[in-house]
Amino acid sequence: MNTYYATTLVVYAGVDIIACLALNLQFGVSGIVNFSFIVFQSVGAYTAAVLSMPPDTANGGYQIYVGGFQLPFPIPWIGGALAGGLLAIPVGLVVLRKLRSDYQAISLLVLSVIVNSVITNARPFLNGAAGIAQVPGPFSDQVDPLTQSYQLLYVGLTVPCVLLVWLVASRIVNSPFGRSLRAMREHELAASALGKNPVQLKMTIFIVGGVIGGLSGAILVGYIAVWAPSEWLYPETIILFAAVIVGGRGNNLGAILGALLVPVGFFEATRLIPPTIGGWVPPPNLIPAMEWVAIGLLIIGFLWFRPEGVRPEARRVFEGGPDLE
Amino acid sequence: MLVATDIHRHFEGMRAVDGVSLEVRPGKITGLIGPNGAGKSTFLAVLAGTLPATSGTIVFDGEDITRLPAYMRARRRLVRTFQLPSEFARLTVLENLLVAAPKHRGDSLFGALMGKRYWIDDERRLVGEARALLKQFGMSAKESDYAGTMSGGQKRLIEIMRALMLHPRLLLLDEPMSGVHPKIVEEIQHYLEDLRAEGLTILMVEHELHMVDRLCDTVVVMAQGKVIGSGTMSSLRRQPEIVDAYLVG
Repeated sequence: MNTYYATTLVVYAGVDIIACLALNLQFGVSGIVNFSFIVFQSVGAYTAAVLSMPPDTANGGYQIYVGGFQLPFPIPWIGGALAGGLLAIPVGLVVLRKLRSDYQAISLLVLSVIVNSVITNARPFLNGAAGIAQVPGPFSDQVDPLTQSYQLLYVGLTVPCVLLVWLVASRIVNSPFGRSLRAMREHELAASALGKNPVQLKMTIFIVGGVIGGLSGAILVGYIAVWAPSEWLYPETIILFAAVIVGGRGNNLGAILGALLVPVGFFEATRLIPPTIGGWVPPPNLIPAMEWVAIGLLIIGFLWFRPEGVRPEARRVFEGGPDLE
Repeated sequence: MLVATDIHRHFEGMRAVDGVSLEVRPGKITGLIGPNGAGKSTFLAVLAGTLPATSGTIVFDGEDITRLPAYMRARRRLVRTFQLPSEFARLTVLENLLVAAPKHRGDSLFGALMGKRYWIDDERRLVGEARALLKQFGMSAKESDYAGTMSGGQKRLIEIMRALMLHPRLLLLDEPMSGVHPKIVEEIQHYLEDLRAEGLTILMVEHELHMVDRLCDTVVVMAQGKVIGSGTMSSLRRQPEIVDAYLVG
């Protein structure tokens, strides 16, 4: 395994872990079925891109986009995270205040489709379907991105972000605030009858998830240097849901495990499938299509046979209590 | 303590609560009885804010709370329980009680991000308070069990304990004995008598008339969304129209 492959895997794993921790806070802990999660990752990616790129006139005008501020690291990453949080405010106010949870899920799914269609077709905004290319990564003006040193540098920037997000997620999940979120997930009406403001709880965790999702997009776009609507179609959210369900809803370690098993491990494993099987050459789109079938079966299988996931949500036992059986 | 005046609650033309006025006096247990569909639980939900009133006013301790949402009424210590079990199933019994605890330093995003040292003192104090309640209600051994695994009667007890964690000034109980084993009905009855002796004000919807007779100082009878009488159980039994409407049998 060469260094480039290893560092790519680590950065992808870091991005997926961050995304799954955010989705776990929203879906696993709080019960918000955010089928538009990928939109928040994308808004973070686009924001980081236009903050770090030069104006679109600077490269001969082969792509057009708003912004182009050429700001130094870490401003694009912070901007990406903030953009994710800012987007969560109007979306949350529209979707989370009045609607029942199943209608929330449908609305968020529709939002994902609409936003992708708008960005695809409104070319002057973010270069439409072609997407944005040549996004400069952090310190790419000082270290050649094609070198091994840069790959290691990127890992060095990604890992602290993963640790920071893990710390934030752990503190939330293990706190009385996390307990209120779990109570709201279990029975919203009863929680409100005990003095919990469900709209405030949902908005708070939706914004926190938006910030973290935006950060994950900012990290990813700096590494792959391109971002296009075809990369963030709504099914991408389903992969993250599969990861959280497989890993264990409500459990941060489960979310990390799910991120490693599904978006990273599962898709890497399909690379090992040989291009020809006993002389038979499969159709070119067969393997990607089978990946989606497998993801669907994985979700159904876990929901049917092990709905709590590989690492179920931990039972909170307090010091000095009775011994468990 | 609580004065509800001319409360209406309509569901697309169906008048579930139709001009109900009622006063709950402090330190008393008021019973709310009536046949199925009389609008008792709907009225209780309107008082607690879990359903908005179509019209009418609710004044609690001198403050008009008619437009306040449920969580703000609960913060004023007007607390309800539910007719159907409403436990937080995947939280332990102890956690169910701790959720209800007000003014916890760790119960906000800021508090959570500050870390355990910021809120651990509150947590220890409230765990102690919750354990005292669990002991009082004979459920100490169950504190680490998931609430969803408890029996129907135990879930009722969890709901009552959870409400008590808020130190309610008025407790609204919606059929606390419904679907509960007779042995636990006896236990709940004793607990409610203890709470009355401590001066807690309770408004209780209940079908078990011998329980209402034993516990309630005043009883209000509802039928078809309206109040058709009020007084002590013995006085109500002397009113033929109420006997015909509800008390027969």
